[in-house]
Amino acid sequence: MFKTATLEERRRYYREEWSEKDLPKFITDELRMREFGFDHLGHGPNDRYKVFRGKDSLRRFLRYKTPFAAYISVAFYNNPRRRGDWIKSEYVFDVDAKDLPIRSCDCDGVCEICLSEALEIVNNLIDTLESDLGIKNIHLIYSGRGYHIRILDDDIMDSDSELRSEILKYVAGAEVPKLKYGNISEGSGSSYNFEHFSIPIAYPKVFTKRLKYNIQHLKGTEEIDDINKKLLKDIIKNRDLLEDNQWGIFRSKIGPRRYKNMVTGMARVNLATIDAKVSIDLKRILRLPTSLHSKVSMKCVEVKDREWFDPFKSAVPKFVEERE
Amino acid sequence: MVLLSFINPLSEEGQEIVKEKGNLENVFSSNDELIYIATHDKRQNIDDDSLIPESYGDLAIKRIQWYIERKNNKNFNNDDYSYLFNEKITEADVISFHLISQAIATKLSPNSREARFFVESQGKIIEERIVKLPEQERKEIVNRILNQLIFQESINWKFLKELVASKKISLTDLVLDEGNIILDKEDFINRFGNKFKDRAPDRMYDIIIGDSIKELILTKMIMQNTENYLQKIREMSSKIEVHPAISELSEKIAQSISELTSKYSGFYGVGVSEGSMKIGKLIKEAFPPCIATTVEGVSSGGRNDAIVLLLTSFVSYARLYPAIFRNEGVDVKISDIDPNLTITLNEILPLIYEAADNCSPPLFDDQPQEKINITSKLGFGMYENPELDHEGETTWYTPMSCEKIKMHLPQLCRPDKLCAKIGNPLSYYSRAKWLMEKEGKSANNGNSNNNGNSNND
Repeated sequence: MFKTATLEERRRYYREEWSEKDLPKFITDELRMREFGFDHLGHGPNDRYKVFRGKDSLRRFLRYKTPFAAYISVAFYNNPRRRGDWIKSEYVFDVDAKDLPIRSCDCDGVCEICLSEALEIVNNLIDTLESDLGIKNIHLIYSGRGYHIRILDDDIMDSDSELRSEILKYVAGAEVPKLKYGNISEGSGSSYNFEHFSIPIAYPKVFTKRLKYNIQHLKGTEEIDDINKKLLKDIIKNRDLLEDNQWGIFRSKIGPRRYKNMVTGMARVNLATIDAKVSIDLKRILRLPTSLHSKVSMKCVEVKDREWFDPFKSAVPKFVEERE
Repeated sequence: MVLLSFINPLSEEGQEIVKEKGNLENVFSSNDELIYIATHDKRQNIDDDSLIPESYGDLAIKRIQWYIERKNNKNFNNDDYSYLFNEKITEADVISFHLISQAIATKLSPNSREARFFVESQGKIIEERIVKLPEQERKEIVNRILNQLIFQESINWKFLKELVASKKISLTDLVLDEGNIILDKEDFINRFGNKFKDRAPDRMYDIIIGDSIKELILTKMIMQNTENYLQKIREMSSKIEVHPAISELSEKIAQSISELTSKYSGFYGVGVSEGSMKIGKLIKEAFPPCIATTVEGVSSGGRNDAIVLLLTSFVSYARLYPAIFRNEGVDVKISDIDPNLTITLNEILPLIYEAADNCSPPLFDDQPQEKINITSKLGFGMYENPELDHEGETTWYTPMSCEKIKMHLPQLCRPDKLCAKIGNPLSYYSRAKWLMEKEGKSANNGNSNNNGNSNND
């Protein structure tokens, strides 16, 4: 596995295994409003601006061309062939297992460990999108080396990059929660300080959860801005306290100034966990679910049960199983 | 009880005041009632006649002046503008508000820095007026205005998505549950009561939400509505003839803002080298051909790189740190030279945005995310606007070399004689400036007569 697929293997995949029935409904619903892109030689998607009238013409194209990679736009256009007259775009979170800034494995590309950590991260993101922000119509796609969260919520789809980047910051935990809370009823001068872990609701809760995840997955070899080697070591030394959420004691062991450095550094790690460029781009193309990721010989598939999904059961093409 | 329009000049009551008393014939005529209110305010400083607004037009200008002074002047004295916070001024204030809106929307632009200062000043005025109200009245006024602004029982954050997108409100400051913004105490306790172990939930409500989020939403909604109002006037303005008094007011506003910002952007740069490498106002005449062409707008197919990569880095370094290539390895941030970002926001960005608008099609029309990319190339992370808090999240990009420009943007490279001697557009700029100085074409410092080009929005 994880070897590049040969032309013959690609052919076998698209002629014997691929079926238009596997295309998710959210893709086929308005197929003709999307732009398609293809990479025929493995040099990147340079055959773009393609349009298909329906599943049949897409099937014929894939069978005949057996592309190295196939992509579909997140955008819907009145004139997709020229990317003209943009209507709306899916909102996407791209979490690539090989680019995770904190991961427990030592692999070069992707492996079972980092893929399952990527899944845990996307599950957390989706939980926050649903429970806090009330966002609907969320689809999860295994992309071959990571995950795409693809959101078709009408209220978000027509929005601009600015709104998208604001949602991203909330969901990712990319901002340090405010410390000071004003209190009007006791006069305008008074205010309270609350560390994120003292507030078990709203954004501070999201941030605390992301922070805990990061700390528990540290290996000790990471290079993180604002967190030097000594601090990293001390975080790891004391992280057992977080098992029982003893954040106050944890913070006092780290020391208030260094704790501040830690949260600032971790907010950046949270941002780097997601490829933000993809989320704010209104005209991006993403791997077509059901297509083959030829570089690693895995299928790009929709994840139906995100708690139990295992790419090694659901995304391995037959030719890989039959390889010598 | 103060009038609702003291806080929200866009309320129906405010519109009525304008209809009844707003008369464009007396925008600049001396207004005894207004002078009386201002001079009889208990806290008002009356030593200096120039502090007292004499007419609606004058008050309009002073509203914005107050904001800029308050933000930049270390010795600012609020008693110089105390009348702005006196509820007796409401009617005149509402009329002035609508006058500024007309002046900016018709003669300047809803995206101009004048508009930005106006909207920001409105936000600050509301904040300070609310704070000064007695507690009970404050609660009541806030609730009454919010009821006018928000029609639903509970608000979904998506209802305020414009405010979120323009960063007037951060999602992270709100208490959100299933998409709803929790404002009501009972609702809060029902939803989160069992989450608090060591503290009483009603007490936590007072601290986390209390009235502060309501006031935040109210203030920001009025700011957003002001922006929308400017846009609406702008759209309608093509059909009507602009009254001369409005034209005069817009000129005065622009002039007053120019004077104040140049007063507060006076600075002396960090140790950079001598001669033409000095920090100073942008001199368009010294731009190399590739930059001059970019400023005029680039057509599709190279727009993004030309504006985001080439122009952004060039203009920012040319304005703030032209000696960067002489001092290679020096780690410098924009705020080292422009500590309040006054130059960045008022000179550098307007020029870049203008060039983006000149592109065909205009760059931000179909690629609004490029604004974020511009901010990021200036070193301020992935945000729409540069803010000091985010500085350092990304790197301040140095300008592309000529070699790179030839590769990425060949259509812009139309070398002239001077180009043969340099390898980077910034060196061209410094050299051209030096030559101009030698020939006596330009004064030798930043406050020269050549500052017009950056303020032409």
